[in-house]
Amino acid sequence: MIYLVLFWEYFKVGLFTIGGGYAMLPLVTQIVTKRGWMTEQQLIEFIGVAESTPGPFAINLATFVGSTVGSTSGLGVFGGILGSLVATIAVTLPSLIIIIIVTLLFDKFRTNKYVQGMLKGIKPIVVGLILSSVFTVAAKVVLPNLNFKNITSDGVSKFNWISLIIVIAFVPISQIRIKGKKIHPIFLILVSAVLGVVLFGVFDLQG
Amino acid sequence: MKRKFQQNDNRVGLWTLFWTFFKTGLFTFGGGYAMISILEEELVAKKKWITTQDMLDMLVIAESTPGVIAVNTATGVGFRVRGVAGAIIATIGVVLPSFLIITALSFFIQAFAENTWYKAAFTGVQACVTVLIINAFIKMFRQLERGWFSALLVAASFDVALFTDFNVIFLIMIGGVLGITYTLIAEAIAKRKNKSLPLKHSERLESEQTNIHSDNDGGDK
Repeated sequence: MIYLVLFWEYFKVGLFTIGGGYAMLPLVTQIVTKRGWMTEQQLIEFIGVAESTPGPFAINLATFVGSTVGSTSGLGVFGGILGSLVATIAVTLPSLIIIIIVTLLFDKFRTNKYVQGMLKGIKPIVVGLILSSVFTVAAKVVLPNLNFKNITSDGVSKFNWISLIIVIAFVPISQIRIKGKKIHPIFLILVSAVLGVVLFGVFDLQG
Repeated sequence: MKRKFQQNDNRVGLWTLFWTFFKTGLFTFGGGYAMISILEEELVAKKKWITTQDMLDMLVIAESTPGVIAVNTATGVGFRVRGVAGAIIATIGVVLPSFLIITALSFFIQAFAENTWYKAAFTGVQACVTVLIINAFIKMFRQLERGWFSALLVAASFDVALFTDFNVIFLIMIGGVLGITYTLIAEAIAKRKNKSLPLKHSERLESEQTNIHSDNDGGDK
């Protein structure tokens, strides 16, 4: 039965990939092509969509793969929805179990000398990962052709200066306090969406 | 230094938890890091369910265990504030927007994402997401212990993650091993100092205090 296979495959994805959604990609690509659910090209196209629609990237991808697989089951629209549901549950279930166990252990042993030492080393690593993500995302926005893992002169061929101005302007704006409260990030996102429509849509300033 | 969230158990409603994470899921774009800023605002600044230091602890757990970072964080926070039910509710909350949007649009999602107006809006959003991740980085960086050891590891991890394909999990494992080694060496040095100068107890106390210092730093102004 297709849903059991889907569940099992996505359960494995949730269980065996560390480092978040992008770390899952190779495994998802492998499964999807091996099972003949999608071509690699179809998946790559959808990765772009999954990045630009609301929601964590990996969950969007799971929902989409599930829906594609489910709609082949002969149950029509309902089959697609069921597929989305199965894939999403499968990919989150390992997290649910593992995180609960790890959190319990963590609280129990957090004062332990070795756990403290380990944290002393892992915290800066995680902060470094966030910083690298700052650069990856910033490059995607400002220099869309730049690839940090393979820097070529082509990387600076496209420069989106309007986006750079938005980024530079939003850093101080996001720190403004009104009556002691910072502007809510969700409000900032909404403002930036409107700004995007005006600048890139109405005035077509895309570099 | 006992954690505060146990006392909070009864105050956090499951519905509030669900709604908080639903909003977070809805406004997360791309990977899970942009949601740190939203969670900071919702959970630390507004609702005070957790501290910024707890946030970093949870991020460490989310990053070092399998699964989607956003889901791991939701499960972690949910579990902390309302136990197993909280973990499940928070996870459903963070996942539901994806589920609803992708299924509802499944037949024309490609066309939707390629729509000129949507693309224009999203280009703006992406710029904002960059800023949110910058803010998340600054917040988390401030939670670290000051000193060359942290600075060196941040720089190394940044370099390796950005410019190479080195596996993240190995990076985290190396960090853990280095952290333990550093702690043991620092302890050995402190012990030796104490032996040669038995009266200088204050030094040892001081080093212990710097350890705790970062934990109390959560409030941030």
